[in-house]
Amino acid sequence: MGGSARKKVMKLALTFLAALLAAPLAVLHAGEPDTRRFEARVLPVLRKRCYTCHSHEKGIRGGLALDSRRGWEAGGDHGPAIRPGDPGKSLLIQAVRQAGSELRMPPGGKLPPGEIAILEQWVREGAHDPRVATGGRAAPRLDIEAGRKHWAYRPVRDPRPPAVQEAGWARDDLDRFVLARLEQASLRPQPDADRYTWLRRVSLDLTGLPPTQAEINGFVADRSDQAFEKVAERLLRSRAFGERWARHWLDLTGYADQIGTSNNVFAEHAWRYRDYLIESFHTDKPFDRFLREQIAGDLLPYQSPEERAANITATGFLVLGDVEIVNPDKLKMETDLIDQQVSKVGLVFMGQTLGCARCHDHKFDPIGLADYYAVAGMFRSTEATHKIPYGIWSGIHLTDLPETPQQVRERRDREAAHQQRVGRLEAEKALLRKEQTALASRTSGPGAGNDGSAGKRDEIAARLKKLATEIEHAEFFKPTVPKAFAVRDAAQPGDMKICVRGNPYALGASVPRGVVRVAAWGSTPPIPAGQSGRLQLAGWLADNRNPLTARVAVNRIWQKLFGEGLVRSVDYFGIRGERPTHPELLDHLASRFMREGWSHKRLLRALVLSRTYRMGSGPNPAAARVDPDNRLLWRMNRQRLDAEALRDAMLVASGELKSGGGGPSLPLEYVENTGLLQPKGVNPPTFSLNRVRPEQDFQRTIYLPIVRAAQPAPARLRDVFDFTQPAQMAGRRAQTVVPTQALFLLNNELLRRRGAGLATALGETLTDRTARLEALWLRVLNRPITPAELADAGAFLDRLESPPGSAGSPPAGPPAAWLELCHALLSSNEFLFRL
Amino acid sequence: MNSSFTLNRRQWLRRSACGFGALALQDIAHAAASPLAARASLFPPKAKRVIFLFMQGGPSQLDLFDPKEYIRSKHGQPIDSPLSKNLLQVGTERFLALGAVAPVRPRGQSGVPISDLMPHLAGVADELCLLRGMNADNPQHAPAELQFHTGTLNDVRPSMGAWISYGLGTENRNLPSFVTIHPKSDVRYYGSAFLPAVHQGTKLTVPLRPEMSPVENLRNVSASEAVQRERLDLTQRLNHRLAARLQGDSAMQGMIEAMELAFRMQTTTPEIVDLSRESKATLDLYGVGGKSTDRNGRACLLARKLSESGVRFVQVTMGGWDHHSDVRANLPRLCAETDQPAAALLTDLKARGLLDDTLVLWSGEFGRTPWSQDLSGTAPIDTHGREHQPESFCAWMAGGGVKRGLAYGETDELGYRVTAGKVHLHDLHATILHLLGLDHTRLTWRHLGRDYRLTDVFGEVVREIIA
Repeated sequence: MGGSARKKVMKLALTFLAALLAAPLAVLHAGEPDTRRFEARVLPVLRKRCYTCHSHEKGIRGGLALDSRRGWEAGGDHGPAIRPGDPGKSLLIQAVRQAGSELRMPPGGKLPPGEIAILEQWVREGAHDPRVATGGRAAPRLDIEAGRKHWAYRPVRDPRPPAVQEAGWARDDLDRFVLARLEQASLRPQPDADRYTWLRRVSLDLTGLPPTQAEINGFVADRSDQAFEKVAERLLRSRAFGERWARHWLDLTGYADQIGTSNNVFAEHAWRYRDYLIESFHTDKPFDRFLREQIAGDLLPYQSPEERAANITATGFLVLGDVEIVNPDKLKMETDLIDQQVSKVGLVFMGQTLGCARCHDHKFDPIGLADYYAVAGMFRSTEATHKIPYGIWSGIHLTDLPETPQQVRERRDREAAHQQRVGRLEAEKALLRKEQTALASRTSGPGAGNDGSAGKRDEIAARLKKLATEIEHAEFFKPTVPKAFAVRDAAQPGDMKICVRGNPYALGASVPRGVVRVAAWGSTPPIPAGQSGRLQLAGWLADNRNPLTARVAVNRIWQKLFGEGLVRSVDYFGIRGERPTHPELLDHLASRFMREGWSHKRLLRALVLSRTYRMGSGPNPAAARVDPDNRLLWRMNRQRLDAEALRDAMLVASGELKSGGGGPSLPLEYVENTGLLQPKGVNPPTFSLNRVRPEQDFQRTIYLPIVRAAQPAPARLRDVFDFTQPAQMAGRRAQTVVPTQALFLLNNELLRRRGAGLATALGETLTDRTARLEALWLRVLNRPITPAELADAGAFLDRLESPPGSAGSPPAGPPAAWLELCHALLSSNEFLFRL
Repeated sequence: MNSSFTLNRRQWLRRSACGFGALALQDIAHAAASPLAARASLFPPKAKRVIFLFMQGGPSQLDLFDPKEYIRSKHGQPIDSPLSKNLLQVGTERFLALGAVAPVRPRGQSGVPISDLMPHLAGVADELCLLRGMNADNPQHAPAELQFHTGTLNDVRPSMGAWISYGLGTENRNLPSFVTIHPKSDVRYYGSAFLPAVHQGTKLTVPLRPEMSPVENLRNVSASEAVQRERLDLTQRLNHRLAARLQGDSAMQGMIEAMELAFRMQTTTPEIVDLSRESKATLDLYGVGGKSTDRNGRACLLARKLSESGVRFVQVTMGGWDHHSDVRANLPRLCAETDQPAAALLTDLKARGLLDDTLVLWSGEFGRTPWSQDLSGTAPIDTHGREHQPESFCAWMAGGGVKRGLAYGETDELGYRVTAGKVHLHDLHATILHLLGLDHTRLTWRHLGRDYRLTDVFGEVVREIIA
């Protein structure tokens, strides 16, 4: 943030800050100089020079009011402004002297020496100040007990489902909470969506993929009582479910296949975290366990190498965001990373903006500096980065993962293959060298090169150069034991000192490691000597008594299905956040989530099979008048497909989706994708994505490389359709409508290629035009074509298809008219949105 | 909801000659007023629009604007390092002074110092307000550039142009309020982050050849425009049917409008960037067609055109200033590419009476060290380069209510620390907003419970440079 050279003032301020944290301010002095002198000499200076920015009348910049004694006693963001009797240690005096610090007041220029002298004398003599605060706000004081009254910090209850008039409507207890609110407002829930709509909805929501023709036909034909349950079960069991929900989680982490933002430094092991997530969601790892792994996986006991590897990989959560590893000031870099980790844990698990308390008590929420540094101390006690031999760069810690016996065998095979390959390359090199030497005699001297040997010489030189690159590349990426970006406890864990205004060189009091007080119950879990405390933090967060964790988690899940959270500010449950529209439902879901073993799948199954989820998203003008934002849930919210679902749905529609994926995203095996691999240099090895693997055009979007600047070609639509930027942590995607999206739909090659694939697939299997159109509608819109659409499409084809026998030989690829038709459908709103 | 207004807005969108790229449409059904409607400033503005010439890479201020006699006298000899011991720096271990590449002389009536490498700029020196006490927080490109554009070193925050668009709207409803020409790839530099998407910058490439597209996906992929229109008509027919069934949906309605706009943009956007109707004198002024000035000349001329048409914030990025080695060879080249176009912009704006209310800003993300950098450790001094330096660097402003012919701020004898007239990036941002009539402490957007600003919790308006 601000400048860095505020040391002097910082060191002074810290003393006061520490005192403030420890105990309420004592009465400051006993001397009683003349009130009249204060009013005659000091007050005019304050009024003239300070009140513009530091009074209740004009404004309170930096939290400091100088229009009452209480104002400067409490002080602003830097702590108390005056230390009576000691001008040298008073921030106000430091500021007006403007010597050697960056805290210089007033901003327009220095006060005349006389006025500075007046203030100095006043402070030296005890800062007599008869002014009492007259109205306005008192200096804000952190009141944690009062803060506990906020809904989000109260214990989660398990409310009894309310009585409803139309009890037959509810399929699940959760429906009764929704219906009760509707009935109170004299609203009726929307009739159920038809089966096609529900199937498309549930398929996209659970797996990010639309249903196939076969799945649609199967579901529509299944009139059994369990038809819906069977679909939900199938979807939840599919790997696609893991792929979808892992992506939701990645939005919360700032994940990219790149370290930091500078210079395109590859994070060639980051994919292990992504694959770990997919596996975790696929196997329905209980969320409390999952949470412990994210924060303290490296400290958890384990039964097998696989479990140990997963535990370590999980801590990638803490380091795979946008970490600025090229800061020349390493202490500052580490402090900023700690801040990112504290903020991440706060936002992801608690829905709190803990980062706001880095420099001062939170302005709105009952979270203090002490809370921030209590948690920060755990990350200060954790190693995440280290200096690497390139220039001023640091790297993220890599941990070797334990291997299973099979992994060991596979690695040995790869190592053998690698040795063979390098051997071949070296042999070729040796051979060429010999030829080169032989040629050298012929290409020098009189008449040299006339025999064509000069051309040969150049050819050999070029090949040798390429060989050197290939060997260097092969050696750089030679097979090793699996590694993951992960953290570990520091050799000497300990509490953290307050960094005044975030400055790591201006240290204040040490704060014992602990948890966020306003959400705590009982005493803080003790941290064993020699440990960071992350395990205790994770245990506290994963405790059923924690008021925030389950609420935040179920609310995000709800938002993914219903478009809006029950608390609409999904990442912020603080005082200024939105209040829950259905507080009892939120608690019902949270307590149920915990009771049922923190199982995502059990909760999701109940949600998608509920009557609430089955509602149509159609119009109801009367309800829209009463509740235009649909806060009471009288209908399902329509949602636009996010970037991943959009691309993946096109691949499903065209039948081109390649299953599988996983493993390294960045195709670093291509020499042309890496630059500068030599071990010595000012900058670390980098990538540039000049070439992607052929199959990456057809794999699910989650498996494509993520880069912090512009997204690589197969995933370019991420930049257009509201992808969460990989420097961000956000539980909710924006949903914008901008012409760049329309241009993309109109002209981008991606739609063209999927349209061509679709047209080809239709042409290969069906000859009859009507049958093709029926199939097309099922594939793209996942519902039968209507008679009116059949007529429209028919007329469209008639106009675009060249009359038989007119033109010459048809061009390669699918017929142009069908390509245009498929493209038209893929860019339609009904495809872009799920109803 | 005011339906008659909604209709009007739709009508203007239909009529608009071009809203290429940045107009967001999701608000159409909801908006009580267009988020891009021109808004009055909080207090009388000195500038109505901004053109930001971004010298990506970090131009060397010592060579261009702030020469140091001490460094000149010590050229090639070791000097004492002023670096804090907390800071790592490589290739500078010997701390050799590196004198200026070319003479820097007082220019014009005002005597604003400018290098011989920038003869065109020297010719308009009396228009400049040179800031010699610029100060930023990070010596690496990515965070420093991000800080210059968004006020923060990492994270995702709205860019300067987005804030200004949010604060003032556009003067021309047929154009976006924020256009960025030849930006670097990081979308955060022109993003709107949590501000409405309507305020994000529209990315533009100046086509140097007819087949180049000024914006992405502008080229019709169908066999002809007629075929494309047939396709779009079918899409829209489906869209309208669905809209009727749902009795309206603002997001879907927005996409219907956006598709039509996109279709029109295919013809209107090339017209906007077409420079063929400019006079020869104008083209020559900017160096269009010149060997080294063609690209930047076109970009600056286009910036003037867009600005004149009412685009609030136009940015032109001219990269290549990152001279870690051989500053003596590289700096003259960069100056040759950028000097004439930048100076021409001032001359042209002035001739058109636009300079008074157009603020032009020229700056890199940081400056460069007065001492040399040599990563090989063996190169002769005259082929050394310079390392990044955020502690002090130079930028200049012109027009838009800043003092003319002023050199503001001073650095120490090394040219490392600012000794007077320090302008931190936050102060620069605050001052730009102030000149536009916006109070940087009141231009806020609530996000995650907090009121965010371009200047975070920092920034002081630099009143000394305001005319």
